[in-house]
Amino acid sequence: MSILLSLNEATRSVNSGNNKVTLLNNINLQVKEGEFISLMGPSGSGKSTLLNCIGMLDNFNGGGYTFLGQPVHSMKEKKRSMLYKEYIGFVFQAYHLIDELTVFENIETPLLYKNVKSSERKALVADMLDRFNIVGKKDLFPEQLSGGQQQLVGIARALIGNPKLILADEPTGNLNSKQSTEIMELFSELNKEGVTIIQATHSEKNASYGSRIINLLDGEIVSE
Amino acid sequence: MFKNYLKIAFRNLIKNNVYSFINISGLAIGMAAAMLIALWIYDELSYDSYSRDKAYIAQVYQSETYNGIVDTGAAIPRPLEFALREDYADNFEHIIMSSWNEALNLSYEDINLTFSGNFMQSGAPDLLELEFLDGDENSLEKLNAIMIAQSTAKALFGDEPAIGKTISINNYFNLNVSAVYKDLPNNSSFSSVEFIIPWEALIAASDWHKRVRDNWGNNSFQLYVKINPNTTMEAVTQKILNVKKDRSKDEAEFNPQIFLFPMEDWYLRNNWDNGVQTGGRIENLWMFGIIGVFILLLACINFVNLSTARSAKRAIEVGIRKSIGSQRRQLIFQFLSESFAIVVLSFVLAIGIVLLFLNGFNALASKSIVFPWSNLTFWLSALVFIVIMTILSGSYPAMYLSSFNPVKVLKGAFKVGKNSSLPRKILVVTQFSISVALIIGTLVVIDQIQFSKDRPVGYDKEGLIEVFTLSDEFDGKQDLMREQFINSGGVVSMTTMSSPTTDVFSNISGYNWEGKPEGFQEDFAFISVHYDFVKTLGLNVIDGRAFSRGFATDSSGVILNKTAVDYMKIQDPIGKYIRHNNPSTNVKPYKIIGVIEDMVVTSPYSKVKQAMYVFDTQSSMNFYSLRLNPKNSISENLLLIESTFKKNFPNTPFNYQFADEEYGKKFRAEERIASLAQVFSALAIFISCLGLFGLASFVAEQRTKEIGVRKVLGASVGQLWLLLSKDFITLVTIALAIASPLAYYVMSRWLQKFTYRSPLGWDVFVIACFGAIIITLITVSFQAIKAATTNPVKSLRTE
Repeated sequence: MSILLSLNEATRSVNSGNNKVTLLNNINLQVKEGEFISLMGPSGSGKSTLLNCIGMLDNFNGGGYTFLGQPVHSMKEKKRSMLYKEYIGFVFQAYHLIDELTVFENIETPLLYKNVKSSERKALVADMLDRFNIVGKKDLFPEQLSGGQQQLVGIARALIGNPKLILADEPTGNLNSKQSTEIMELFSELNKEGVTIIQATHSEKNASYGSRIINLLDGEIVSE
Repeated sequence: MFKNYLKIAFRNLIKNNVYSFINISGLAIGMAAAMLIALWIYDELSYDSYSRDKAYIAQVYQSETYNGIVDTGAAIPRPLEFALREDYADNFEHIIMSSWNEALNLSYEDINLTFSGNFMQSGAPDLLELEFLDGDENSLEKLNAIMIAQSTAKALFGDEPAIGKTISINNYFNLNVSAVYKDLPNNSSFSSVEFIIPWEALIAASDWHKRVRDNWGNNSFQLYVKINPNTTMEAVTQKILNVKKDRSKDEAEFNPQIFLFPMEDWYLRNNWDNGVQTGGRIENLWMFGIIGVFILLLACINFVNLSTARSAKRAIEVGIRKSIGSQRRQLIFQFLSESFAIVVLSFVLAIGIVLLFLNGFNALASKSIVFPWSNLTFWLSALVFIVIMTILSGSYPAMYLSSFNPVKVLKGAFKVGKNSSLPRKILVVTQFSISVALIIGTLVVIDQIQFSKDRPVGYDKEGLIEVFTLSDEFDGKQDLMREQFINSGGVVSMTTMSSPTTDVFSNISGYNWEGKPEGFQEDFAFISVHYDFVKTLGLNVIDGRAFSRGFATDSSGVILNKTAVDYMKIQDPIGKYIRHNNPSTNVKPYKIIGVIEDMVVTSPYSKVKQAMYVFDTQSSMNFYSLRLNPKNSISENLLLIESTFKKNFPNTPFNYQFADEEYGKKFRAEERIASLAQVFSALAIFISCLGLFGLASFVAEQRTKEIGVRKVLGASVGQLWLLLSKDFITLVTIALAIASPLAYYVMSRWLQKFTYRSPLGWDVFVIACFGAIIITLITVSFQAIKAATTNPVKSLRTE
């Protein structure tokens, strides 16, 4: 299987007052297409930072990051944004749907940023609603949905752009166990269809859905 | 994409209805105010715009220097006409002599009405660009012709054709209507030309006019010109500047300067100060223009403040959008389009407000502005205006909101920096500085008007009426009429006057007296009066006595006002003589018989002019001044006076004016300015408070948890109120400190315009500052008390 992304001695540090705090230290990681990786580790171990950096919302400030053979670390902002718009979808613990938009519109939004034509957008969103069985909810606003349903919409929104990689930061952290199971099953189904998934999680059970578990501690990979 | 943005914008508007209301209503009120000001300015600027050849039309003006002070005015001597025709004719298309615009009685059969009009030379129809509805447009050549405006024709003849009908003018001239022209627009310099009589008819009928044919010293006429298109106003002025000085040895000492005053400046730049053109209405245009911009600025500041204050709420959305692929550019565009939507909405509302208040505004500004629905320029400017407002109010929030880091805001660790409220504070200070300065300015204007109104005028203006006696038929009937008026019971005393109590029709020079300083160039207001002048007007004699029937020689007596005595530097004036410079004239010397306290006649804001009140021996009266009988009501008195008048002059319209009303008119221009300023500064402070209200509610909301904790720990409502209010009070206090000296500087300069001016006291500033603090407290307290009295359990549960 081809390599989707690779990190080479990737480092992320911030300045807090006079102290330099290292959030991620010399991370070496290769992700192949079709993998389902679970990042584990205690709070503050760097799981979220790693996801954000991989997702290009945040940047490493040392080492190399190659995505689909292209050097992300030396890219301009615009190019980077084009890359993640095309290939990456995010799922958040707090769902992060836009409150003022309906389910339909929330799912549609990434397509707007990709300049997809209106008719095509409608078709794609309709397919997605259908697939997730939420057609009946398309005109509701996020606050009218349960947590599980909101996360479903979040995943649908992440998937609408047909990404190669889904980054999920504690996707079930706000859900009860029944809802969690549904979401995790959905992830594994997606993975089977070929989508690469990296999730950050505290839960052993959720981690077990993945094909590979990486443990982080204090910004370093301690075991695989 | 755009649709999506608008959708979000509208859902946000509905969701945050309080903020939306503040934003939209603030902007709408600001825009409406600006629109009204713009319409007003446009209307002022379009004065005389009916005239296509305005660039070539001018009135000939004259400046003369008396004792080093340059006096500028429209009055010119008769021989100037001939000088221009003889030596400068090739510069002009028209040279048109004109009388002053005066009220005359026009009678047709049993209809007697008073209209104002001019005696003018035959080029007048072309210069005035009259549109003729009927008759012969060249008929001013004929001596017995009169051209009348359509409204005049309608009033005199109803629907009958006017041409050929004979009108009697002041029961003196009989003229045939030779043409009817369309009324000139209200906002034009010639709007009160309701009829035109040939200038030559006046010359033919008047010996006095014939006598002054070559008199360069008698400045009693007007002269209009239209210059040839191949020359310029400046060039012609250069040529004619010294025409009077060169031709009249006697007048040369006053350095007479003859120049063209272009029609384009008549309305807006008609102020002269010591020979220099110093603006005029144009200053008000600038003033209100600036006020309009300020008000808009205030509304924009509200928008900016509320948008940035609430940024935390939008931060998440920004984070999400960035994480799903939005670039910053797109977010900026999104926020700008939201601002655009709000501005458009406010604009529509503003039009509604303007339509609602246009009538009231017209009444206030004495205008007849109509909303320019079909004016393309208006709509184009409106579009530009909307774009500018969008950029002004939307760009800072857009830049600010779109700058958020998605990782931080989505983590929920988003904290607004400690200094992030600093720009907001600066803007609030700016807002209140502007509004408080406007309020102080308005108070000073009102104060100055009141101060001048309270000025002692030197006579009793209540219960005094002036009946117009413009035609010759009144000559020699003063004593008869006085007797009849008094017998009627409506009047207790009567005199006649050549000028009303509120104006000076005639000035005079060329006299000598004992102790006159060498080279002194005197200039007096000259008023002819009759017996009972002092009694009727209620004047105070401070030296000597009034005209009396007991002294036959009083017919050559003169009463001076106090200023004249000081002006002439004359000691013990009573009994001394004022003689004409030229002993060969058989004008009798005037013997000073009395001195009266100054009478405020012309501007209530300036110094009283030195005046000579002489006994009328030449029937130069224009008014009967009547002291009404205080025992009757005014209407009873008027009925008695009118019937007495009609008994004696059945064919003359009974026209009269109240002295106090006429005096009151002198304040109109300033009062109009004051009432407009009042409205706009009230709007300014209202808009600022609206913003403050929004910010206060935002702060209360933001500090809900803190308030809850403090309450649980035992803070009282009063302490919490202080906590929430003191920041705002501090800001407003800073604004006061900025606004007060600024307003002091500007307003003390404004007051310089008036010789008689109110001292710029501290009371105005105290009232404004105190008022601003109170208003701020009320505005802020509403939110503060609401937050402070909320059950802490509730507020602590919010997180």
